[in-house]
Amino acid sequence: MIHDFLASWPLFSNTYLAGWLIGVLLSLIGVFVVARDQIFLGAAITQASTLGIAAGMWMPTVVAAEMFPWLRSDGFLAFMAVVFSIMAALVTAGTSEAGGESRESITAWVFLISASLSILLVAHSPHGLQEIHRILSSSIIGASTADVWTFGALAGLTIAWIGASRRRLLLLALDPAMAEAVGMRTARWAVVLAAWLGLTVGLALRSSGMLYTFGCLVLPALCAKNLCREVRAMFFTAPLVALGAGVAGFVLAHHYDFPPAQMAVALLGLALVIAWSLRWARHRTRTS
Amino acid sequence: MPRASAERPIANHDVILKTKGLALGYGRRTVLEDVTLEVCRGQCWFLVGPNGSGKTTFLKAILGMLSPRAGTLWFHPDFAHREQIGFVPQRCDLNPTLPTTVREFVLLGLAGLRVKRREEGARLAWALEKVGLAGLESQDYWSLSGGQRQRALVARTLVRRPAFLLLDEATSGLDWPATAAFLHTVSELNRLDGLTILFVTHDLAIAARHATHAALFSAGRVHAGPGHDVLSAANLERAYGTPIALP
Repeated sequence: MIHDFLASWPLFSNTYLAGWLIGVLLSLIGVFVVARDQIFLGAAITQASTLGIAAGMWMPTVVAAEMFPWLRSDGFLAFMAVVFSIMAALVTAGTSEAGGESRESITAWVFLISASLSILLVAHSPHGLQEIHRILSSSIIGASTADVWTFGALAGLTIAWIGASRRRLLLLALDPAMAEAVGMRTARWAVVLAAWLGLTVGLALRSSGMLYTFGCLVLPALCAKNLCREVRAMFFTAPLVALGAGVAGFVLAHHYDFPPAQMAVALLGLALVIAWSLRWARHRTRTS
Repeated sequence: MPRASAERPIANHDVILKTKGLALGYGRRTVLEDVTLEVCRGQCWFLVGPNGSGKTTFLKAILGMLSPRAGTLWFHPDFAHREQIGFVPQRCDLNPTLPTTVREFVLLGLAGLRVKRREEGARLAWALEKVGLAGLESQDYWSLSGGQRQRALVARTLVRRPAFLLLDEATSGLDWPATAAFLHTVSELNRLDGLTILFVTHDLAIAARHATHAALFSAGRVHAGPGHDVLSAANLERAYGTPIALP
């Protein structure tokens, strides 16, 4: 099995590396999403990013695409995915205010309007509809060297940022009132965090699809939450879980001829069941 | 053992906070007007008054979260840096499904400070000892009682080694024994470690018992001074609109 996988390396190395780097990158950011109990937010941002791609495909049909050939480029679609996910992250980053709408309601609205519009915009374009379905179902086959470098750089920057500001980021995620009291400019930090979440989700979605992006965003962090005793350990455990599931998933998918993204997410789901069991057993041991 | 004091010692009873004609508010709404008071080192102030009378607004201004509309808010130069001022909120809305230990929770208080790892350990041990949670650093935070969690909140503030401690309704929701233990901790910090305390509460009996000084907030104004003068039956009746008998 391993030998077969290694034999496929020259052909699929970019796909494998990009998939693993996306897993590491999103699992780190996912720790903040899970810490703030905003898992649905991750789904909404991912869906908004899909809407961005749909809008990018729709635009050449309503404007003179021959005058703007870049409208049909892959880079433009990636740009639209990032713009829409950043917008969604910023819209949902606000806090619920008395008498106003709750953040959950706004997140639900973003999710539903994005899900419906992303289909409606490309409903009369067979190629567009096919592309949206491909994104929704996830396929990481076809990643380029540029994708590998992009996600490598983003993962490196994220690790450096967390290393330098872990405690402040945690305090912001866990107790914004205290963060403000110790002098942090919480609104500014929240905007930067939301923008970073939007940027990474938007780029990941374009390369790996919705299922893999959302799966890597929340499942490794949820596994880590159940395996660790402290939040800081989640920053080490979540990427390891994502990487482990990614490697095992791609090897198994290659051997049994299954789609790799779905296999990796299925393994992450299984890992979460194991993590729940371990936490339950630990809790039982402690209380007995 | 680290001490909760400013690096450059200041003489006892030095003024550390002074307001004169201070006005505070949000948007077009003015909440407080003409607030004039002086807080000296080592004093234990209690801020009391009806709901919405501006107590928390005043704390926000001290914490730099709200700019004065008029008047002055002056700090002793030793308190110009925010780490000299510690804040204990009413509660901490921590996600209850998150795993965390007492150590991790308390050390979150060091956010934004450059502290060496060895120094971190010393500060942690000292803060936990001060609040009566020594030896519990490895314990699951969620296994603590409500009173212990509230003291962990104080420890989280103490690791910053503040000389001026602000507490916002920190005993609300605690039962009587937990409240008594919590107040004992705060009282010891004031008496033994010289921390200046500013305690917002709705519990007038607690204020009357522990305050060296008090500020009574009512109708946008503040009556401040020695505790027994401010918390008189006549002043309280005027502020709350009903006769109040204190023990």
